Amino acid sequence: MVNLYPKREFKVPIFAECINPEIFEDKTLSEIAELEVWEGNKRKKLGEFFKIEEVKAETEEPTITLYGDLSRIRRIGTKMRRGIIKIQGDVGMHLGEEMEGGKIVVRGNVDSWAGSMMKGGIIEIHGNASHYLGAPYRGSTVGMRGGRIIVHGNAGNEVGAYMRKGIIKVYGNVGQFVGLRMRKGTIFVAGDAEGRMGACMKGGKIIVCGHVDSILPSFTIENVKGKVKVEADEIAQGPFYLFLGDLTENGMGKLYVSKEKNSHLGFYEKYL
Amino acid sequence: MEIVKAVTCPVCGSLCDDIEVVMENGKIVDVRNACAAGAAKFLNYNCEHRILKPLIRKNGEFVEVSLDEAIRKAAEILANASYPILYGWSSTSCEAVRVGLELAEEIGGVIDNTSTVCHGPSILSIQDVGIPSCTLGQIRHRADLVVYWGSNPWSAHPRHIERYTAFSEGRFQKSTWRRYLAKIRALIAKKKLERAFKRIFFKREISVPPHLRYEPPPFLERKERKLIVIDVRRTKSAEIADYFIKVEPGKDYELLQALRMLIRDQEIETDKVAGVPVEYLEEVADVMVNCDFGILFFGVGLTMSGAKMRNIDAAICLTRDLNMRTKFVIMPMRGHFNVTGANVVSTWQTGYPFAVDFSLGYPRYNPGETSVVDILLRGESDASLIIASDPASSFPKKAVEHLAKTPLIVIDPHMNVTAQIADVVIPSAFVGIEAEGTAYRMDHVPLPLKKIVEPPEGILPDEEIVRRILVEVRRLKGIGGS
Amino acid sequence: MEILIKNGFVFDPINHINGERMDIAIRNGKIVDSVDESSAKVINASGMIVMPGGVDIHAHIAGSEVNAGRLLRPEDHAKDVEPKTPITRSGVGYSIPSTFTTGYRYSRMGYTTVMNPSMPPLEAKHTHEELSDTPIIDKATFPLLGDWWFALEYLSRGQIEECAKHIAWMITSTKGYAIKIVNPGGLESWGFGKNVESLDTEVPYFNITPREIIRGLCKVNKMLNLPHTIHVHTNNLGKPGNFATCLETMKCVEDLAVDEKPVIHITHCQFCAFKGEDWRTMSSGAEEIAKYVNNRSHVTLDMGQVIFTDTTTMTADGPFQYTLYELSGNKWVNHDVETETSSGIVPFHYRRKSYVHAVQWTIGLELALLIKDTWKIYMTTDHPNGGPFTSYPRIIAWLMSSQARKETLKKVNPRARSKSLLPTIDRELDFYEIAIMTRVGQAKALGLKEKGHLGVGADADVAIYKINPELTDPSKDYKLVRKAFERAAYTIKSGEIVVKDGEVVKHVEGATIWLKIKTSSPIEVSEDIKRRFREYWTVEYENYPVSEKYLAISNPKEVEASI
Ligand code: SF4
Ligand SMILES: [Zn+2]
Repeated sequence: MVNLYPKREFKVPIFAECINPEIFEDKTLSEIAELEVWEGNKRKKLGEFFKIEEVKAETEEPTITLYGDLSRIRRIGTKMRRGIIKIQGDVGMHLGEEMEGGKIVVRGNVDSWAGSMMKGGIIEIHGNASHYLGAPYRGSTVGMRGGRIIVHGNAGNEVGAYMRKGIIKVYGNVGQFVGLRMRKGTIFVAGDAEGRMGACMKGGKIIVCGHVDSILPSFTIENVKGKVKVEADEIAQGPFYLFLGDLTENGMGKLYVSKEKNSHLGFYEKYL
Repeated sequence: MEIVKAVTCPVCGSLCDDIEVVMENGKIVDVRNACAAGAAKFLNYNCEHRILKPLIRKNGEFVEVSLDEAIRKAAEILANASYPILYGWSSTSCEAVRVGLELAEEIGGVIDNTSTVCHGPSILSIQDVGIPSCTLGQIRHRADLVVYWGSNPWSAHPRHIERYTAFSEGRFQKSTWRRYLAKIRALIAKKKLERAFKRIFFKREISVPPHLRYEPPPFLERKERKLIVIDVRRTKSAEIADYFIKVEPGKDYELLQALRMLIRDQEIETDKVAGVPVEYLEEVADVMVNCDFGILFFGVGLTMSGAKMRNIDAAICLTRDLNMRTKFVIMPMRGHFNVTGANVVSTWQTGYPFAVDFSLGYPRYNPGETSVVDILLRGESDASLIIASDPASSFPKKAVEHLAKTPLIVIDPHMNVTAQIADVVIPSAFVGIEAEGTAYRMDHVPLPLKKIVEPPEGILPDEEIVRRILVEVRRLKGIGGS
Repeated sequence: MEILIKNGFVFDPINHINGERMDIAIRNGKIVDSVDESSAKVINASGMIVMPGGVDIHAHIAGSEVNAGRLLRPEDHAKDVEPKTPITRSGVGYSIPSTFTTGYRYSRMGYTTVMNPSMPPLEAKHTHEELSDTPIIDKATFPLLGDWWFALEYLSRGQIEECAKHIAWMITSTKGYAIKIVNPGGLESWGFGKNVESLDTEVPYFNITPREIIRGLCKVNKMLNLPHTIHVHTNNLGKPGNFATCLETMKCVEDLAVDEKPVIHITHCQFCAFKGEDWRTMSSGAEEIAKYVNNRSHVTLDMGQVIFTDTTTMTADGPFQYTLYELSGNKWVNHDVETETSSGIVPFHYRRKSYVHAVQWTIGLELALLIKDTWKIYMTTDHPNGGPFTSYPRIIAWLMSSQARKETLKKVNPRARSKSLLPTIDRELDFYEIAIMTRVGQAKALGLKEKGHLGVGADADVAIYKINPELTDPSKDYKLVRKAFERAAYTIKSGEIVVKDGEVVKHVEGATIWLKIKTSSPIEVSEDIKRRFREYWTVEYENYPVSEKYLAISNPKEVEASI
């Protein structure tokens, strides 16, 4: 198990794809210190940025723990397949991008594109997540394809855009366009959603337990449901309005919105 | 007196190329065919804010220096930076952008143009869903329905309507000038009536309900171009429109999705969308479906409010869906005269239209991450070169503060706000007046820019200045060659 | 600089050299008789193949349509990047590489000349700016003229000569090289969202049919003595049953041929060789087309081979691209150009398991193998429509080895496999034939006299591949063949070594070849024409032509027209 402590404050963006348990595994500390990192346009070594320490392992899994303000550091855990990364602090963009397995736990806030195009594994964020959580790269229509993302704080816009599989749970509030163009999978929001939930979705399930301003005109009300299954052993208690959409994309996605918190949507009931 | 014909106007994205410039003793004395904005540029470009000597800030004060010294200083700043940004590029020639990209690559910097703060969202949407579009002549010849959404061409692109849309004359479409005149007369009368009506019956403002809409006389009704204007306020362009939709601010996305529903003959389960009654939208949707050739122009009113890029996403999808029923195209109303060119050149050299990051040695693109305004807001850059743009007057305060904090090079003909906080200022010639080059019209038609007059002594075009910086950077890095 | 390539197995079909071991001498960018061995740079090519540099008759590498494709696909670029090196500029791939990368990747495969086959004349400056940023390779570009209003109007009135004069003006002013015709009449109809169904459908408002356009422009081509024939993308492209349209198109100019010389080039023929009524019954029409072509001499073709990969389709055929969008549901770009043409772009993934895609794959190879004379059919993918040009070595392997074909056949849709002729074809091409299909034949069809051969006076564009024809059996060792053609041992462009061991060692600029057509009475630039111009286009007459400064290296070819 390896601990990393930043040696100084970071200003320009740092690309550190090498911070990946699989890459660290079977390497000595001095080999780890030699790993390539980019600071802006300068090629550097991991050891120039971090004090690297070996500590006694708590688990069998290869583990990396990072401490301090890492908000300038991007691509930690990219393409990771196993092991654990623990981050005690804020962390930068593209955390766990294209991740396939293993676990990342953050005790802080996470910048945009966390879990982007993720295929498997778990990302758990105890602070807030920014925009494009689990969303794909520009121009791509293939978002998250598996795995779990759990956010205990809030998340920004376009959570789970183009999602194809997997689950995202946000216990705080989310921004606009949660589940944009999603095809399958589940997004659960315990708090409020800023609006335009499920825009252009073709399938999948979005559950919002808090307040929403309005429903897009391209959704149609289907039912009122007492409760909804979030995943195998978890049920969200309603009642929920169930909307289907997005009809402009011939979609059959399910959008559940708390009835209690959204009395202003009561007029939809006349279409039932 | 000498007349230079077929001059391209280096002001807005309409890029009118029929300007005639009247010269006397090597000076411009008159301009023909241009709109007021265009004419003003040709007549007043050489104003008192012109910078005539390169400047370097020493001990907090600007000092006039030789061009060589300024270039050397600029090159030093850029060559040593870890994350430099090169921003602007939309009011200069494609030739300058080409060299700029080479410089950015050489120094491992981020190069971005002003689309980042205007039509960047449009581009991101195009990358998500595509875009059915065409050149402007196609509209002049064929369009019988013109929609302006969140743009006010009457003031931002003054000759757009006359040259390319409602008032232009094409093979299959006649100009609607005559109808417009008839209508204006009717409109004035109607306005008087309306005002009287309002004074008497209403206290609050009304958003032109259908029954108050101007009904054109039947003989002018069909087979002539129709104009729809959609905006948050009643603009001058709205005055000449057949249909005006006043959309609730920030609710364009809902309106667009509602129109998509209607052209698919689907029912909407609310009475009003974005403050507009659904019946009125049904009528507009009918007009859209029943045209032979429709065009939707959109401006920053749509790209920069509410759902931002997703507005464009929906607008493009609406246009795409309309092609199931008729022919429909869509086009962004690009502002700066060569912002399209900056995108085009960047795309062919790097694959990406703006916000290109060379720090890892190859082009990388991810607006939000690699866009200059976001980089500045996060305070990540450590040097900047600003060319043919004035971000200090338009960027958020926090971004400008970072710009001022790190070494800043400005290349511009004018002492603009950004130049005033710069460390190195290099004056440049006006491309399209004092220097030649190429620019791309908003519909991607390339046009030549002319050199009509000599620049002030010792002042070089952007292209040349950037090239000299590049050569100097390479010298500093110990790389020979061109 | 002088170079001596020693002891290679030389394949130079124009000079009837078939794998003989000999030396090739180069001086000042040209092939010469001999050079002084002691002072020349000597390349030891023993055990290697020496051929003229590759020539591509049809690849969309530059211009507004290609660039719109680039803009559309950041996700395509991000998976394939080229970092900057001390010698080369950076860039991106995959299916629509940036300009620098395009030049480098072609030259790494030993290609030195590429035709960019579709240029909207109004946006010609754009095409030329991009071509000038495409290093190393020589290139030329074909203006789209089949739906140009001037042409349609003159042809519908039977004024062939007048039409020819205008075409001469157009090719010369846009620095073009050949007459490109795409879905004649269909693009004009697409202006209002329509299409034409057959060679005899009348084009709305223009009183002319596709047949008349093709015949008319074929005559114009002859009057102007252009080096290449008309270059035709047929009507109904990409539709089941279109092999009949393709046959009709070839037939409709049969009588215009003299002296057995080709008068028409049917491009990316695979896309117009579909039989069947609909997508379910769609099958290969390659046999019929091959039969026709085998008995005629007035037509040349290129394959338009499909590769199983994720690529980007782009053609000037607006209505076809719309259909493709409807079929795939992928993102769609359309760009119509006033009074001239249209274009469309749709990303597309050809999948082995798809019946239609697998049939398409077999059609391309069937055409190449069933047409007996390799001088009549050339290797292309219609880059990037069937797949990126970087897959050429793979096609070479399929053409040279029935074993290679069988390996792929095993993996494709079984119904497509069982219906195809391909498993029964044993023909395997040799290096001599490959040289013809990948360069020599193309250069000849294009009328590029200095390209495609290694005789004295030819341009010193040479490709050297590390494969020994005496020791390798391409039929079995097709993987070696493929590797050799992927990375040329040397590429020499205009007498300079630009690639060594598959890597670019020197960045040089390539030339743009264009036609300066001389007619005895060229069109007069009268006020009348300027007015007409202003009515048709939204730019001024003066701003339309492309000046030579847009060309990094300008290589004009003078052509004397017979009018
Ligand atoms: S509309 Fe724009 S381009 Fe045309 S003259 Fe006015 S400012 Fe210049
Ligand atoms: Zn093609």
